[in-house]
Amino acid sequence: MASNKKYWKSEAELHPNDSIVEALRQNEFPEEIPVDDFLGDKEGLSATATNRRDFLKYIGFSTAAASLAACEGPVRKSIPYVVKPENIIPGIANYYATTIANGFDFANVLVKTREGRPIKIENNTDAKLGGGANARVQASVLSLYDSTRIQGPLASGEPVYWSDLDKAAKDKLAALKNSGKQIALLTQTYASPSTDRLISEFTAAFGNVNHVTYDAISEDAALNAFEARYGKRALPNYNFDKADVIVSFGADFLADWQGGGFDSGYSKGRVPKNGKMSRHYQFEANMSLTGANADKRVPLAPSNQKLALAKLYSKLNGTSVGGDLDEAAERAIDNIVTEIAKNKSAALVVTGLEDENAQAVALAINEMLSSRAMDVSSPRYVRQGNINALNQLITDMKSGSIGALIMDGVNPMYSLPNAEDFLEGIEKVDLSITFSTNWNETTAVSNYTAASNHYLESWGDAQLFEGHFSLTQPTIKELFDTRQFQTCLLNWMGNEKSYYEYVKETWTTSVLGDANWDKALHDGVFSAADMIVSGTSDPVDAIQNTVDKEPALTNGEAEEKDILPIANAVQSLAASSMEGMELTLYSKVGMGDGQQASNPWLQEFPDPISRVCWDNYVTVSKSDAQMLDFVNEHVANGGMDGSYANITVNGVSLDNVPVVIQPGQAEGTLGLSLGYGKEVGLKEEMKVGVNAFKLYQGFSNIQTATIEKATGMHEFASVQLHKTLMGRGDIIKETTLEVFNTKDHSEWNHQPQVSLNHQEVPATTVDLWDSFDRSIGHHFNMSIDLNACTGCGACVIACHAENNVPVVGKAEVRMSRDMHWLRIDRYYSSEDTFEEDNSKKDEFSGAFESKSGFEEMEDPAANPQVAFQPVMCQHCNHAPCETVCPVAATSHSRQGQNHMAYNRCVGTRYCANNCPYKVRRFNWFLYNNNDEFDYNMNNDLGKMVINPDVNVRSRGVMEKCSMCIQMTQKTILDAKREGRIIKDGEFQTACSNACSNGAIVFGDVNDAESEVAELVESDRMYHLLESVGTKPNVFYHVKVRNTNEA
Amino acid sequence: MASHYEAPIRKPLVLGDKGYHDVSVDIAGPVERRANKQWWIVFSIALAAFLWGVGCIVYTISTGIGTWGLNKTVGWAWDITNFVWWVGIGHAGTLISAVLLLFRQKWRMAINRSAEAMTIFSVIQAGLFPVIHMGRPWLGYWVLPIPNQFGSLWVNFNSPLLWDVFAISTYLSVSLVFWWTGLLPDFAMIRDRAVKPFQKKIYSLVSFGWTGRAKDWQRFEEVSLVLAGLATPLVLSVHTIVSFDFATSVIPGWHTTIFPPYFVAGAVFSGFAMVQTLLIIMRKVCNLEDYITVQHIELMNIIIMVTGSIVGCAYITELFIAWYSGVEYEQYAFLNRATGPYWWSYLLMMSCNVVSPQIMWFKKIRTSIVVSFIISIVVNVGMWFERFVIIVTSLHRDYLPSSWTMFSPTFVDIGIFIGTLGFFFTLFLLYARTFPVIAQAEVKSILKSSGERFKKLRDAGQPLYKISKNATAASTAVVEEKTEAVETGNEQVSSLLDTLGAFDATKETADDLKKVKGIGPQMEQTLNQIGIFTFAQVGRMTEKEYDLLDEITGSFPGRAQRDDWAGQANRLNNKN
Repeated sequence: MASNKKYWKSEAELHPNDSIVEALRQNEFPEEIPVDDFLGDKEGLSATATNRRDFLKYIGFSTAAASLAACEGPVRKSIPYVVKPENIIPGIANYYATTIANGFDFANVLVKTREGRPIKIENNTDAKLGGGANARVQASVLSLYDSTRIQGPLASGEPVYWSDLDKAAKDKLAALKNSGKQIALLTQTYASPSTDRLISEFTAAFGNVNHVTYDAISEDAALNAFEARYGKRALPNYNFDKADVIVSFGADFLADWQGGGFDSGYSKGRVPKNGKMSRHYQFEANMSLTGANADKRVPLAPSNQKLALAKLYSKLNGTSVGGDLDEAAERAIDNIVTEIAKNKSAALVVTGLEDENAQAVALAINEMLSSRAMDVSSPRYVRQGNINALNQLITDMKSGSIGALIMDGVNPMYSLPNAEDFLEGIEKVDLSITFSTNWNETTAVSNYTAASNHYLESWGDAQLFEGHFSLTQPTIKELFDTRQFQTCLLNWMGNEKSYYEYVKETWTTSVLGDANWDKALHDGVFSAADMIVSGTSDPVDAIQNTVDKEPALTNGEAEEKDILPIANAVQSLAASSMEGMELTLYSKVGMGDGQQASNPWLQEFPDPISRVCWDNYVTVSKSDAQMLDFVNEHVANGGMDGSYANITVNGVSLDNVPVVIQPGQAEGTLGLSLGYGKEVGLKEEMKVGVNAFKLYQGFSNIQTATIEKATGMHEFASVQLHKTLMGRGDIIKETTLEVFNTKDHSEWNHQPQVSLNHQEVPATTVDLWDSFDRSIGHHFNMSIDLNACTGCGACVIACHAENNVPVVGKAEVRMSRDMHWLRIDRYYSSEDTFEEDNSKKDEFSGAFESKSGFEEMEDPAANPQVAFQPVMCQHCNHAPCETVCPVAATSHSRQGQNHMAYNRCVGTRYCANNCPYKVRRFNWFLYNNNDEFDYNMNNDLGKMVINPDVNVRSRGVMEKCSMCIQMTQKTILDAKREGRIIKDGEFQTACSNACSNGAIVFGDVNDAESEVAELVESDRMYHLLESVGTKPNVFYHVKVRNTNEA
Repeated sequence: MASHYEAPIRKPLVLGDKGYHDVSVDIAGPVERRANKQWWIVFSIALAAFLWGVGCIVYTISTGIGTWGLNKTVGWAWDITNFVWWVGIGHAGTLISAVLLLFRQKWRMAINRSAEAMTIFSVIQAGLFPVIHMGRPWLGYWVLPIPNQFGSLWVNFNSPLLWDVFAISTYLSVSLVFWWTGLLPDFAMIRDRAVKPFQKKIYSLVSFGWTGRAKDWQRFEEVSLVLAGLATPLVLSVHTIVSFDFATSVIPGWHTTIFPPYFVAGAVFSGFAMVQTLLIIMRKVCNLEDYITVQHIELMNIIIMVTGSIVGCAYITELFIAWYSGVEYEQYAFLNRATGPYWWSYLLMMSCNVVSPQIMWFKKIRTSIVVSFIISIVVNVGMWFERFVIIVTSLHRDYLPSSWTMFSPTFVDIGIFIGTLGFFFTLFLLYARTFPVIAQAEVKSILKSSGERFKKLRDAGQPLYKISKNATAASTAVVEEKTEAVETGNEQVSSLLDTLGAFDATKETADDLKKVKGIGPQMEQTLNQIGIFTFAQVGRMTEKEYDLLDEITGSFPGRAQRDDWAGQANRLNNKN
């Protein structure tokens, strides 16, 4: 519709005769378009190659390109292999044997890779080494995919090219060659023949090279003692399975003592066989994993442990030393002496006291007894740190005589007690290069940070103990622009070889002999048992030979020279005393020396003893806590709070250390774990705990400390809030070896009875339902031997990795919402033993006595007995969870597994409520792709560890142990395809696979030949909560304690 | 059915000098009047609480159940506590309307409407929780046995949760039908009284075309009886099934065979307490003291006391059986319940549910409105804690001590509970403004036998009805107040003509009043006698005039209003 309205554009239009308005009205272009400028030049135009068609092409292309770019949606790259790599078949896992040797953890492992990604660590069963992959090694695969890793070399924190770093290093090294200044290498313990050779070649090439090995947690005293006695800087190897009497003075040998890995041997000796099992005495201050497994645990302050060790020595060789111990300790030592006398060579004495005298005396005792469990002929090389050399290095650095400092695998700025000295020194070093996978305290002060490979991306080798060689091979190409230390050294030396070629060369020339390299690489391990025989000139062997020949060690001139220093050592041990509180520093099973502090699996791994995760804390005894006014209390939602303390050692103080009141802690002692309190390079959630390395003065794990209460309360995240078993003896059944050997199993493995038609009958025989016929096909059962289980927790992490269990963080764990499918319950006795708990409970009469009695039982004893019990879904044949699910999301399989169909679950949580074992875990939130849970499932890198065979669960659904149905199904399908019968041992779950102690055995009970079928018939077999009538497919074996106090 | 003779010793159920029309007026009053300030204040509070609850529910559904205080050991807490509590409250309505109907307890007539409304509103609250407590509520329809084409598989009929689905939905539908059936004549009453066309339309829709024919009444009685018969087993079954959620489990403290009767008694107990709370407020606010009398309150108090004692016996029996069972887990569960970390909730439960109703043994107390009101609230607090005790203290320490932990609610838990209280009161307040809150048709049916006025008339030997066409005022004191209204015909006629205007035969012509539907030749004659000849006069009639007319003519009371003579007359007048 036409409008008569006129819109004016500017005021000027109001003047009808305005010239500008007129001009604008007439001309479309107010200014002359300079057409001639580009069209007038005819020559130029004809000379250009651009014609009209080209123009249209350009226009067309740019339009298409612009619109394509604008249209780009979220791209999910799924790239098929153009040339399929050999051996990678989508959906099929490949396994590679390799070795972790990160300076703290040494183990031969198998790496499971899927589509080229390492996703899980398993034990290399070919390795003849004692231990398997512990919790930290199991979790190390996640550190590969740590989103906080350094992705390329850095100079003062800024990204540079490797060529820049190489040039800086080469120039400096060249300049320093044969100058007055030293080139220092400060490294972890490698125990690597190739690296040793490389460093010696490097030394030869540049001269004036000083290689210092540094262990964050030192075994210097033990190394010195061994060196003094046997002339070799190494540690003795122990076979705990050969020991009938094990005496430990503060040695946490089931954890990380002297490099760890002793637990499998120990467990072998702990399972009663032919009426015999080893007897284990433990004298210690902190309640350690080892002490928790001991038959007789005597809480003793470190100074008294020394005295006790001295006394044991003197009693064994018939002398005497002064000093008083409390009655219990004296009696224990007398018992030990009596028992050792029965069979001297079957005894073993070890100590974890960082004291040369103590270590020397322990060696002397074993030698005196000619203990068959101690092996000095093939010593361990897994700790080589040298404190004197380190101190000298720091002094040299401060004096300015170090020209270049190259570090690998160490973080001295974090782990040195005198980090300030180091900082002062490193500032005087001309060039400092740190090899590291993560940004940390030391990279922050180095000139260059050389982004280092994870061990799963590296080549390498290791000699864990004499004659036991193993290889490290990459299981994935470097994820980032990283290089390993050895490659760089080769490069800087001008050697063109790759480190792979170098390792191969080392092996073919000096390790393998006639053996095949490919076979060694395939196996991951190579035992050079034949080779060491030729080395009889070895001083260790020489002495061992004499020991073997003269087991009694009563006379002979050989000892004359020996006894005097030992006597001195004993005297000084006996004279040791300490004032104030004695602090024992230790490493946690979950965190070790703190290398993997950014690993969420390990942060959320509950400590086997305290069951606390995401923290370290000072442990104090109950009586000291009362004296010092420390409390542990529970808030309304059950979360535990603890007081804060300030701890001072030699003027160095650590403030606001949370306090845990630890049953079994020796009075007058404190315990604090190393490896926490890292600050640099970590996500905010991971910055937990306090850095106890500050108190690690003189690299001794024993310190004199003062402690005082600080204000405020700390919020702990503990997965188990109740400490005792409340006299419920049918949950963890136990007996003593004597009773086990002499009485009928109905007495010590009592079956619950129920009344049926006024007759007492075993509860298992009464049933509401008809059972299915389970004799056809497979029927899976799992056996858990409470004697073999040390509580180490490797299975917990293995389960985590296999089943994509989410990490939920400290706040959620504190709300009792941990997601672990497999947990290891730890119970303390309230009386001195669990047996006394049971009888105390049985004698309650009346409600009031019960009330007060049960309240007393909630409190653990000062030195309690400890029991561990791994609990996962029990896969009940009469499962209470299955009947109550309204949508049948959980149901039973023919093979005995209790299924959980996540997609069907609507999340009523009824099943979890009705589960007597409380093993079901609910997805309270979305744990993946959720910024509230910024752990590995929240970034693309961290997700690479996810097992593609297992769902990642959405929020609102219930989840739980599936008995690794993805693994059993694969076994069945493989056998079917190959047309064969499944052998025993082929069926595995992640936990049974991870358990190198043989505590968890999985298999098919319908296979009469299988190990599990044999175990289910054992007299020790019982089901958890048998009286409920759930008929579980998981069963336990009665724990037998080898105590003389029945 | 019920106008037969009732013993004089029985207290009247309807107090005051109430005739049939008074009942209509009193009960239609709250619907026809405007809401007062207090109503708006209370309604705003309830609505705010409701909206807060909606916010919390939205937060839960969008973020996850983790926003609640639950954990791996205590998988249910406030959600199912609230669910059972609301279902329990709902029980009184059905008990009053169905069981008391079958037992011919006439006193129920004053309270059954509101009790049933309460049932429905509380079952709605209860039904909310099983849905929102799910981890994935958007898949909640999977608990329905619907064919596979809907993407769902068949359900697990072993699960008590599934039984709940049927129990609750059956209960809700039967209650709703029963309630609405009873409402039909009352809605029709309001419809007939409604003046505004919109209201008339709505009430005629909801009254399903009730005409009040004898056939209507006969069918009404039959349906009521059948539904009462259907609903009575539901009173027992619903809470029995709810108790199966716990009783069929293996958790010590849940696995208890006494649960079904104990839950039903507890439900009736808490339901009556809630009815008590609501009616004590309502009789005051809506001026219904004549209908909901102290006698009603006393009778309900007796039921509360009896059921409270049954519940108390059940508590003691549980303790005894736990001890007698010899099962250590069972024994500890009950020891822990009474003396463990949640001892205070057990104490609250015991004192509120078992001890407090015992004071009702004293007549003075059970007839005191203030005390009854306080006790009714105390009982509901206690019953909430009973469910909390059963659910949380049983779960938090069950078999394996390693899993023992505690529960504490978050603001979301509390917010959702408050939200359901808000939702409940929002619904109830809306109901009180729009529904006949007392079953007036039923009350009218007992008015002659149990109404105070008629009892007194009967006592005095007076006839119950006096249709006086000529002006002798009744001499009894009973009708004293009425005498003014029941004036002589002349006075009424003049007052009627005052408003309608007199007919002047010289200026106007008489209209054919028979054209108005409802006015026959007889009525036209009567009207002419009064002096009403034109549509204009009829068109000016309002409620007051209708009443006056009814009184003058004494025939077809309410007919004029029902047929809307005034409206018809105005239209006819306009046509002319």
